[in-house]
Amino acid sequence: MSSPTRQQVLRHIELVGQLQPALHQPQHAPFPEAIDHALFRAYMRTSHDVGGEPDVPIQYEEKEEEQWELNTYVTCECLAWRGLWNAEERRRRQNVDLGQTQYLGLPYYGRWLLSAARILVDKQAITLTELITKIDEVKKRYE
Amino acid sequence: MSKTHHAQKATGKGDPQCFAGEAGPPKFKVGDQVRIKDLPDIFYTRCQVYTRGAVGEVAVVTHESPAPEDEAWDNVDRPEWFYIVRFKQSELWPDYPAVYANDTLQTEFSERWLELV
Repeated sequence: MSSPTRQQVLRHIELVGQLQPALHQPQHAPFPEAIDHALFRAYMRTSHDVGGEPDVPIQYEEKEEEQWELNTYVTCECLAWRGLWNAEERRRRQNVDLGQTQYLGLPYYGRWLLSAARILVDKQAITLTELITKIDEVKKRYE
Repeated sequence: MSKTHHAQKATGKGDPQCFAGEAGPPKFKVGDQVRIKDLPDIFYTRCQVYTRGAVGEVAVVTHESPAPEDEAWDNVDRPEWFYIVRFKQSELWPDYPAVYANDTLQTEFSERWLELV
């Protein structure tokens, strides 16, 4: 039986299969000796440090901030005023901890929002169970 | 919920002013030739890889603050001096056109990343 949930799940699995670090050589479960210093350093590179990387030009576009983006910004500032994080910890979580695939693949304020949710869980202001339950509840309003 | 050390320290003063006077005398002065160290970089840093091993000139001695590597985990116990270093672009990029030989780039480092040439 093929429910909408299963279809979504299978599509998700297909999509995450396409998200791969761009190291075009066999790399699953390597033996330690397969990781030399250069390769280790490449893996450890902090994802925000893109200066000097060969890349293609990006078209510059003017885009106004959306309401949810402004709300996200204010939320993150409030978390700082309440002492949950400082600006540097926020940057670490938004730009580095989430890894290269998410850093390059998600919108700027999407990363802010994710890091806000994550620090609330990490610092035990809420539990992940509470967060999941709430997201599920809100999602159902739109079904 | 308890406030982080950082928020307690900066409230009513601002950052980086709240760290003024905590780093001791600065090790470098304006005009010093410095090389950027190639320290191990894991988990977090704001010292751009493209500057490692390059030589530049201290342009400004800026302020005292915990280094990003410490502050990113809310450790504010050991503030350092920060410096704006000016590089010739040709020092950073091997293929930089000779016709623009006077071009420079400035960026900021905490003291641990610098050594006198």
